[in-house]
Amino acid sequence: MKILIIEDEAGLRESIEEYFTETGNICETANDFHSALNKINLYRYDCIVLDITLPYGNGLEILKSLKENNYSDGVLIISAKNSLDDRLQGLDLGADDYLVKPFHLSELRARVSAVIRRKSFNGNNLLAFNEIKIDLLAKSVKIENNNIKLTKKEYALLLYFLANKGKVVSKNAIAEHLWGDGIDVADNFDFIYSHIKNLRKKLMEAGGSDYIKAVYGMGYKFTA
Amino acid sequence: MKLFATYNRVNLLTTVIVILITGLIYYQVISLILTNQLNKDLEVEEQEILDFVKLNHQLPQVFDSNDQQITFSKPQKTPVKRSFISTYYYNKKEKEPGRGLIMPVNVNGKWYQATISESTVETEDLIKIIFTITIGIILLLITILFFINRFILNRLWQAFYAILSRLSLFNVTNFKEEQIPETTIDEFNQLNEAVEAMSARVRKEYLELKKFTEHAAHELLTPIAIINSKLDTLIQTDNFSKRQSELLSDLYGTVSRLKRLNKAMLLLVKIENGLVEEEHVINLKEMITERLASFQELFLDKELAVSLELESKAIRANNYLIEILLNNILSNAIRHNNFGGKIKVILNQKSLVIQNTGTNLALNNKEIFRRFNKSTESEGSGLGLTIAKQICENYHYQFSYAFYPPFHNFKIDL
Repeated sequence: MKILIIEDEAGLRESIEEYFTETGNICETANDFHSALNKINLYRYDCIVLDITLPYGNGLEILKSLKENNYSDGVLIISAKNSLDDRLQGLDLGADDYLVKPFHLSELRARVSAVIRRKSFNGNNLLAFNEIKIDLLAKSVKIENNNIKLTKKEYALLLYFLANKGKVVSKNAIAEHLWGDGIDVADNFDFIYSHIKNLRKKLMEAGGSDYIKAVYGMGYKFTA
Repeated sequence: MKLFATYNRVNLLTTVIVILITGLIYYQVISLILTNQLNKDLEVEEQEILDFVKLNHQLPQVFDSNDQQITFSKPQKTPVKRSFISTYYYNKKEKEPGRGLIMPVNVNGKWYQATISESTVETEDLIKIIFTITIGIILLLITILFFINRFILNRLWQAFYAILSRLSLFNVTNFKEEQIPETTIDEFNQLNEAVEAMSARVRKEYLELKKFTEHAAHELLTPIAIINSKLDTLIQTDNFSKRQSELLSDLYGTVSRLKRLNKAMLLLVKIENGLVEEEHVINLKEMITERLASFQELFLDKELAVSLELESKAIRANNYLIEILLNNILSNAIRHNNFGGKIKVILNQKSLVIQNTGTNLALNNKEIFRRFNKSTESEGSGLGLTIAKQICENYHYQFSYAFYPPFHNFKIDL
């Protein structure tokens, strides 16, 4: 997939770029309004990660320009502004998703994957990883024709891991993904552990491999 | 004591004392003048008697008159000393107070004592009138002062009371321009100007402070985002020792706390500024059920028994805020609960009550709603209840806490 990261903070831009760069991905960056506008007029991307506050212009203008030209690039807005107006305005203008800073890279990746999936599958709502087959519309998971009955959270967890294949995902990121940032309960990660234990058990019982590895007590990694 | 009352008390007391003293002086002076007048009358009479004796060498005949009595008598001592006395005047009907003159009269070498007396009834009447007038003036003054205070002073002080009520209603967060009644009194105008200048200054500083808080919290977002993303990147590099991963884990925990704290601050500023305006009709029962469902794992994790008594209730508010309100109270109820404890949620038409077991001591009602108040072992931001309270205040809900052992009782009057 081809991704454009429009972000003026060098630290953040580099981290995102590094996180997304891997075989099969092309990752480009822009650090201000003008270079961003140049890039979107020259190339097409599967997903554009767009910061709203940019030097020399507003990110929303870039979004408008995309829509005016009928470019169908997926757009995910990242902004420090949590104001509901901004969020609504962004989504009204045709952004596909909105993520508030600060966020975990794994969360961004999951969101970007979802945007690209929605854009490119065009009605094809099947997602496959080795023997695991997921019907995104029915929210059902199969391994070799064995239906696996997952809870809502386990299903979300599986998609999150698939989007972050080969990456170590921290327990904090998982907790925030599953329960949202409105919930302050970080005192205790035992419940994540039990969710993951159950998910692993269900996948393996259905004949799947054991993909999820605990990493040094910091988080988990889904490895092929 | 009110300024009026104090002023009146001094004023009236002084007036009464002064009038009484004046009355006394009046009385003294007038009775002196009148006595002098009587004395003169008596002296005229004396002269007449002396003239008569000198001419006729005998005592004059005594007539009873209305206002004078003369008696002659043989003195015990000869000659009697001439003197004015206060005596009684015997009228036909009654004994009246009088003024008399005792004088020696020599008729053909023989000494007599003559007593001339006159009634002083009229003098006494005069004094009575003066006394009545004095009392009358006192009463009149008191009445007039009373009415002056009541109507004129009250009116004069109206500006003052307007300023006072404005000061006592002064609220930096909710500033309203108000017209103070026009006054011609310089002091009040000065006071009003001072109050106005002060409130403008306070308001300006408050706004600047608030802006600063917002900006500070906002500016912190980017560095936090960078730390967060660098941490996410760091854990992708392989081979950490156990010690290193423990440290990383702690770092993650701290950054996520920082994140929550920062978000809470921004949210609080936003709610306080009334920036979250959009309102919808919310089915509270539905939302509570939904929130509880999302907390399900946490209940299980702590083995909490959750019991519900939910009636259907619709409110008009902002979705996002009510969700935060419920999240904050519920996550507190979980976080501060005992293992295997209980949570009760009761919703009816009037109120929403969330009860939880926990420590067996009542929490300090004032402290818990204060910013950054939290137990030392708590990982929370210390803003959860402050935000909940602020949201309630936004919608004019009463948010209160009470401890009915073993339950901590958080109640929102809808």
